[in-house]
Amino acid sequence: MDKAYAKALWEIVEGGMAPKAAVKRLCEVLGARGRLGLLPKIARSFSILSSRDRSKNSVVLKVARSSDAKHALKEAGTFLKDAGIKLGDVRTDVEESLIGGWRLEAGELLRDASYKRRLLDIYENVSEE
Amino acid sequence: MEQSIVQKIVNEIEKYAPNADVEHVGRVTSVGDGVVSIDGLSRAVMGEIIQFEETAGRSLAKGMQSSGALYGLVLNLEEDGVRATILGDSARVSEGMTIKSTGRILSVPSGDELLGRVVSALGEPLDGKGQFSKTTMMPVERDSYGVIDRKSVSVPLQTGIKAIDAMIPIGRGQRELIIGDRSTGKTTIAIDTIINQKYEPAEKRPICIYVAIGQKESKTARIVAQLAEAGALPYTIIVDAPASAPAALQFLAPYAGVAMGEYFMDKGRDVLVIYDDLSKQATAYRQLSLLLRRPPGREAYPGDIFYLHSRLLERAARLSENKGGGSITALPIIETQDGDVAAYIPTNVISITDGQIFLDSSLFNKGNRPAIDVGISVSRVGSSAQTKAMKSVAGTLRLGLAQFRELEAFMQFAQDLDKTTADRIETGRRMVEVMKQKNGAPIPVEKQVVVLYATDKKFFADVAIARVSEVESLLLEFVDGQYSKELAEIKKTGVISDELKTKLDRALEEFRLAHRELFAKS
Repeated sequence: MDKAYAKALWEIVEGGMAPKAAVKRLCEVLGARGRLGLLPKIARSFSILSSRDRSKNSVVLKVARSSDAKHALKEAGTFLKDAGIKLGDVRTDVEESLIGGWRLEAGELLRDASYKRRLLDIYENVSEE
Repeated sequence: MEQSIVQKIVNEIEKYAPNADVEHVGRVTSVGDGVVSIDGLSRAVMGEIIQFEETAGRSLAKGMQSSGALYGLVLNLEEDGVRATILGDSARVSEGMTIKSTGRILSVPSGDELLGRVVSALGEPLDGKGQFSKTTMMPVERDSYGVIDRKSVSVPLQTGIKAIDAMIPIGRGQRELIIGDRSTGKTTIAIDTIINQKYEPAEKRPICIYVAIGQKESKTARIVAQLAEAGALPYTIIVDAPASAPAALQFLAPYAGVAMGEYFMDKGRDVLVIYDDLSKQATAYRQLSLLLRRPPGREAYPGDIFYLHSRLLERAARLSENKGGGSITALPIIETQDGDVAAYIPTNVISITDGQIFLDSSLFNKGNRPAIDVGISVSRVGSSAQTKAMKSVAGTLRLGLAQFRELEAFMQFAQDLDKTTADRIETGRRMVEVMKQKNGAPIPVEKQVVVLYATDKKFFADVAIARVSEVESLLLEFVDGQYSKELAEIKKTGVISDELKTKLDRALEEFRLAHRELFAKS
C-alpha cells in the first residue's frame, strides 16, 4: 500500500505539481481515508524510489588513479556514445582496487575494462583446469 | 613454482582476450532466507542464471580468496526488479552487491562420466571422486516431447518384485507412483528396482537415476553403499539435495535428474528416474514461493503446484523410432500422512501418473513385505508391457488375493466355514506368503514366472504356511540347477509354450518327490 502511495506521489511530482502541494494533497487524501499512519512508510518508499532513480540515471567512471581519468574517458568514448551519454554527465570516482584500466557503471549497463577483472579472469581460467 | 604451472599461466595470458562486451547488471536491495530482491536486470528472463559479483570494491587478493562463482536463479519478474534464489551460500550475498545477467538458462552436466557418481542438484560432484571432464550440458527446464514423437509403452521394466511384476506391471516410459506412509518400504521398492536392472543385458539395461530430495545424508549414504554392494552403482547416478540443502536446490533436484536422463534418452537408451520424494519437493517449493511473495493457495501451496509436478512427470516418455526409441520411466514417491491418499499433493500426483503402488502401514506391521495393497494399487498402461509368460501365470492372482482379503475379514466372526471357502482361504494365505519378499533381493522375471506357475498349480497347497518361503527358495535353487535351459527360454521368448509347461510340471513333481517332508501340512 505504502509503495503505491509513494509511486503516485512520485508520478504527480514528475508530472509538474509542486512537491509541497503534492505532499499536502496526499496528507488530505490519507486523512480522509483514515490512513495517516502510513505516512512514515510512504516516506521510506519514496526515498527508495528516489535512490533507485538516482542510480538508474547516474553514470560513474571508476579508475585506479585520478590521473587515469582522462585516458579512461577517451577509451570509454564509443561506449558512452552508443549509450547516448554526454561526457558532462559522467562522474569520476577513484577505486584503487581496480589496479589499472577503468570500470564504467551506467544504470543497468556495466563495462569493466579494469586490470583487476582481467587478472581475475586469468586466475579463474587457470584454476578451473 | 612448478614449471608446468608457470607454463599454464603463460599460455593463459597469451590466449587471453579481454571481454569488451557491455554487461547488464542489477543491485541487491534485500537478501534473506536464500532469496534476493534485485533492482535492475530489466532484461532478465525467467529461469535465467545470474552471477553475484563478489569482487567489486574488494582487493584482487580478497577477490581470489572467494570460493568459486556464486550464482542465482531468476524466479520472479517484477515491475521494478526481479527476485531470485541463491544457488549457494547466501551469507556471501550483501545489500548493494552487483549482479550480472549471464543470458544462460540453468543447465546441468550429463554423460557417461556421471555414472556411478553422487552429484548435487547443480551437477557438481559430491563424492570426492574428482571433477568431470567430458560432459554435455542439458537444460534443467525443457519442454517435454509431443505426441508425434512418442510411442506407447510396450517394453516391460522388471522390478524384480513379484507382487509388482505380476499384478502392477511397469513399462518403460511409464510413470508409476509409489505412495505410502513413512517407513512402509517405498524407498526399498525403488532401490530393489535399480538393483534388479543388473539382470538385464548391458545393451538393454536402463540407466538409473536416483534423486534424493530432502533426505537425511545418512540415508543417502546407506543407499549408495547398498547399490555399490549389489553391483548396481556403475549404471546409476545419484542426485542428492539433502534436507540441509537450500530449498531452491531441493526444488531443482528432480528437474536436474530428469535433465541428466534426457541426455541418455536422446541417445536411444532407456532410463529409470526415481524421485524420492516429491512431497518434500512440494514443501521446498512452497517455502520458496512464500519467500518470493507469491500468493498462497490451498495448504499455503502456490497456484502452480500442480504444474510443478506435471511438467516434471510429462518428461517421462517412450520415444518413437524416429527419435531414437529411448525412454524415461519415472517412479515418483509420495509420502502420505496417516494413509490419507486423498490429500492435496497425493491426489495431484495420482492424477498425473499412469498408476500407483500403494503401501499400507497395517500390512507392513503384519509382516507382509512389500506391504503393497493390491486393492487400490493399479498400473494403467503396464499390462501391455507384460510378457505373455507373466500374463499367463499372474492372471488369476489379483482376483484370488482380493477374494482372500474379503474372506479374511469374514473369517473373523464366522464359526463354521464350508470346504470351498476354507480352501480359498488356505490358498489365499499361501498366495500372500508367496508374495512376500526380502528387501535387497529382487528376483529375475523367469524365476518369478516359475514361482507363480507353481502357485497357480496349487503346488504350495500341502506346504505349511510357515515354510512356504523356504520351499520357494529351494524350488528356485532346484530349477536353477536342473532346469536352467528352461529358465533361459522363458527369459528369451517371454512365453510358456505347452512343451515348457510339461517340463515345468515335471520339475515340480521331481521337486515334490525329492522333498516329501516339506509337503506334509502341519
